[in-house]
Amino acid sequence: MPSLLRHHRLKLLAVVLAANFSLLLHLAAGDPIPVREWNPLDIFGEGGAALLALVWLGLMLSSRPAGRVTNLLALGLGCVFFSWWTDCLDEFVRLPESVHWDHWLESAPMPVGLLLLTYGLYHWHHEQLAISAQMEKRERLFREHLLFDKLTPLAGADYLRRQLQLSLEESRREGRPLSLVAVDLDHFDAINQRFGHAEGDAVLQAVTQLLLLNLRRQDLLCRLAGDRFVILLPHTGESQARQLAGEMALAVEHLAHKTRQHGERLQLGASVACAMALDEDAEQLLRRLNLALARAKQGLALSA
Amino acid sequence: MSAREPWYERDSRFIAAHQQPAGLLDLGLGRGIDSHRLLRGSGLFHEDILRGATLISPEQYLRLIDNAQRLLAADDTSFLFGQRLLPGHQGAASQALAQAGNLLEALRLLGELRALLCPLLSPRLVCDERYAYLYWLDSCGAGPSLRFLLEAHMAAATALGRRLSGERLPWRFHFRHAEPRCVEQYWVHLGEDLHFGSPCDLMRLPLDCLNRPLPQAAPTAGAVSRRQARAQLESAGPAASLLDRLYDWLLAHVREAPGLERAAEAFAMSPTTFKRKLRKHATSYQEQHDRARLHVALWLQQVKGYGNEAIASYLHFHDANNFRRSFKRWTGMPPSSLRQSLCG
Repeated sequence: MPSLLRHHRLKLLAVVLAANFSLLLHLAAGDPIPVREWNPLDIFGEGGAALLALVWLGLMLSSRPAGRVTNLLALGLGCVFFSWWTDCLDEFVRLPESVHWDHWLESAPMPVGLLLLTYGLYHWHHEQLAISAQMEKRERLFREHLLFDKLTPLAGADYLRRQLQLSLEESRREGRPLSLVAVDLDHFDAINQRFGHAEGDAVLQAVTQLLLLNLRRQDLLCRLAGDRFVILLPHTGESQARQLAGEMALAVEHLAHKTRQHGERLQLGASVACAMALDEDAEQLLRRLNLALARAKQGLALSA
Repeated sequence: MSAREPWYERDSRFIAAHQQPAGLLDLGLGRGIDSHRLLRGSGLFHEDILRGATLISPEQYLRLIDNAQRLLAADDTSFLFGQRLLPGHQGAASQALAQAGNLLEALRLLGELRALLCPLLSPRLVCDERYAYLYWLDSCGAGPSLRFLLEAHMAAATALGRRLSGERLPWRFHFRHAEPRCVEQYWVHLGEDLHFGSPCDLMRLPLDCLNRPLPQAAPTAGAVSRRQARAQLESAGPAASLLDRLYDWLLAHVREAPGLERAAEAFAMSPTTFKRKLRKHATSYQEQHDRARLHVALWLQQVKGYGNEAIASYLHFHDANNFRRSFKRWTGMPPSSLRQSLCG
């Protein structure tokens, strides 16, 4: 059982009990329809709808922590399921003409459920806005969760390429500059060697948070590969980009990261490079940025 | 197959599962992937590996690589795996590598101990007056995992050089495959001097980087480790794969352009058996023969500066035209277009 589903045991139990209750009520009041009189199309249509509502409920519950919005959505979907389920039951059980409660049981939960669902979705919209605000500086213009890496979690090179393409078009249209900054950790391999790869991963996560804190609202941080980050700076000229790059290098240098095992201070450092978009495509710009970084790294080897 | 044959094959069990393969397993476990899914189809269980006495075949190792590649679904898996490969945790062999006097010695040792340190891909080191060239040959028929292996092993050799010398070395990289979508992984983990669509998978380094004494060199301890590593190699089984041995034999007889029958005889089996064994490794005699001739032709052209006429007569082609046609068939381009590409 996925861990999030565990918080929703009560809700799932209630759905099962309600479905069971309706089934027992039908069986008590009416007679089962013999198999040869079943209507396969109706069973498929109504049963399928009920099953799908159950799948939605499962997906929703397994992907959301408990809370007000979750309760509303669960209650709404539960009512929708119950209504379709009861609708499906009269394909199997024939009730006598004198019984009228079955129409109520079938039709009343549906509008209630849909209203609850709508109310829940409205609040979900607000919740999503709040969460999107937290994704600021990690996401711009479009969302694609498949392009985020699992470690940092930042978007990877593919997301950066698509984002860069869009931003280049935008900057050309508006006639405003666009710059990129690359940040590459120095001696990252040595950290991996000395303290293990888990510590290296922790350093990457810490540096990610640090860089995010040091960025402006409109900037976008991506992890290109390994220990190399790229920051997309819209509406930014070269001198401003260079200043920002310098700030990033200083921030990394002053980060007092402690190892997880012994709390030892790691002295970090970063090489930075920047490139302003000229008349070129995303790939050429990235390539130029990378060469600039390689030159910055060479200086490092000589001085070390 | 019997243990007496002086080579290993795709299904020979000689790789210690708790050494290199475990590194890949740890990488997957560290990313939250279930060990059963990583080992699916390999006939192995995590408990077997933990016991520390299980030997696996290249085939099983390749299966694990295939699973890890699929389950991790990240572009950097091969490079991260490669960075953990060398010097590694293989006892005396790894120690000998870490204590080498200079990089040339380390790379020669890597070649000698390849059955222990890189059983799936064979490193070949050649030098001219200016450069050392390290090229990699498929040992066991890697098939679609070849690119993964090349990325991993080149990242391993690059990381080894950086660790031993304490600085980024000016490697140049050549790959036979076209430039991949995730070229940024190559930038970060290998370097900027990258060439794709080349005639062989090769790394090149100026010779003076190789001869520089290394800070951690330990001549006496290194000599002992080397001796122990050789004993380790001896007890592990054959030191090279069938394809590797065949490549050596083809190089030695390259001027005679030997046929399949002669090669089968040299390896003491019938032509049918020989053909079957090569098919098992997803290759053919023609392919292996062509590759050896291509490598000699490249050496003559790029290093010795031979013209087409001279190469053709060295390799016993009928004439230069014939050679040019064959060369185009091997690499997809005429010899003239390559004149400057590897050494320039």
